[in-house]
Amino acid sequence: MSTTLDLHCHSEASEDSRAPVEAYLNWITLRRAERPLDGIVLTEHRQFNRDADYRALEDKFGLMVLRASEVETNYGHVLVFGVNEDILARFDFANIRLDAQELIDEVARLGGIAVPCHPGRPNIGLCEHYLTKPALQNVVAVEMLNGGSRKGENERSEELIQRFGYAATGGSDSHLVSLIGLCATRFAAYINSIDGLVRELKTGSYEPVDFRPKRKPVARAVEAEAK
Amino acid sequence: MAVDYDPTLINKVFEVTDPVTVTPEMIQKFCQGLGETNPLFTDAEAAKKGPYGGLVAPPSFAVTFRNGRHFFQHVPRFGRAGFDAGKDAEFVQPIRPGDKVTLHSHVKEIYEKTGRSGTMVFVVVRSTLKNQNGEVVAHIDHRFMNRT
Repeated sequence: MSTTLDLHCHSEASEDSRAPVEAYLNWITLRRAERPLDGIVLTEHRQFNRDADYRALEDKFGLMVLRASEVETNYGHVLVFGVNEDILARFDFANIRLDAQELIDEVARLGGIAVPCHPGRPNIGLCEHYLTKPALQNVVAVEMLNGGSRKGENERSEELIQRFGYAATGGSDSHLVSLIGLCATRFAAYINSIDGLVRELKTGSYEPVDFRPKRKPVARAVEAEAK
Repeated sequence: MAVDYDPTLINKVFEVTDPVTVTPEMIQKFCQGLGETNPLFTDAEAAKKGPYGGLVAPPSFAVTFRNGRHFFQHVPRFGRAGFDAGKDAEFVQPIRPGDKVTLHSHVKEIYEKTGRSGTMVFVVVRSTLKNQNGEVVAHIDHRFMNRT
């Protein structure tokens, strides 16, 4: 039994998002045919929302809500899954100058996994940093599909992932309700907890999935209009 | 290097405006300007039977109050340039005709983030609107972005 999760989204707990978690879940429920998700992972900016309790919403919508973080490093932004007290004691997530290599190694040692995200994005993605700095060691997975990417950014990410042999994930990077679940990650295994997610992310048995609506070729659209 | 600022700035009220007395005409003009037709805001008689027992201003009326003359002198600046990055409004209780509203402003938060275009420092200044009884009617958060 597989599991499909949007591994990258922001709720109103992030300063640049206005999306309530309930609205995300409601939107997914309304569009389940187009975005067949089993749940979402909230990756709030520069913080871990440790006190949030989404169990009532999970029961109401039959969807999983897991919590992670998006932090900022000298190699760009990185998603941290499996955040625990040891990781929070080790790193100040508000610091935008975290050392990426230290983060990857220490998060792994302390029971989590760090996944660089939107690598194709200027300034805050791996690709640009790899031009001037050595490649990071011990990277297991990198986000390949990001719903907030501009033209060419996901393609750059894919090239990097193929070149270095990383496992690839997907996430919407949604800050708005209607964008939730446009990109996600399909795991071969059944996942029902953050520990399970971390375990599976380390195996590499997953693939990014793209639920963004495909644009019709112009000629066909014109033809359809004429009918 | 982390952003450098005086931490005592945070939460210290730097300005309180003179009170502005809210009149029925001010609410009426605001509603006309927006095309607002809800009788809670436009019809004093109908509003008496409503949940507030009388006419109230639409929630967004709270953003019409001006900050004080020296407001911008107290907004910390960083780096080369910046711009207004938006406002958040939290409406706490209705504003009524006759209310005397004052704005109490303080720096709520200063934080850094990185994006496609580089490093930014955000300054959030909160203006708390209070009525003549000292009751909070709204919070308006002004977010300013500075490019470093």
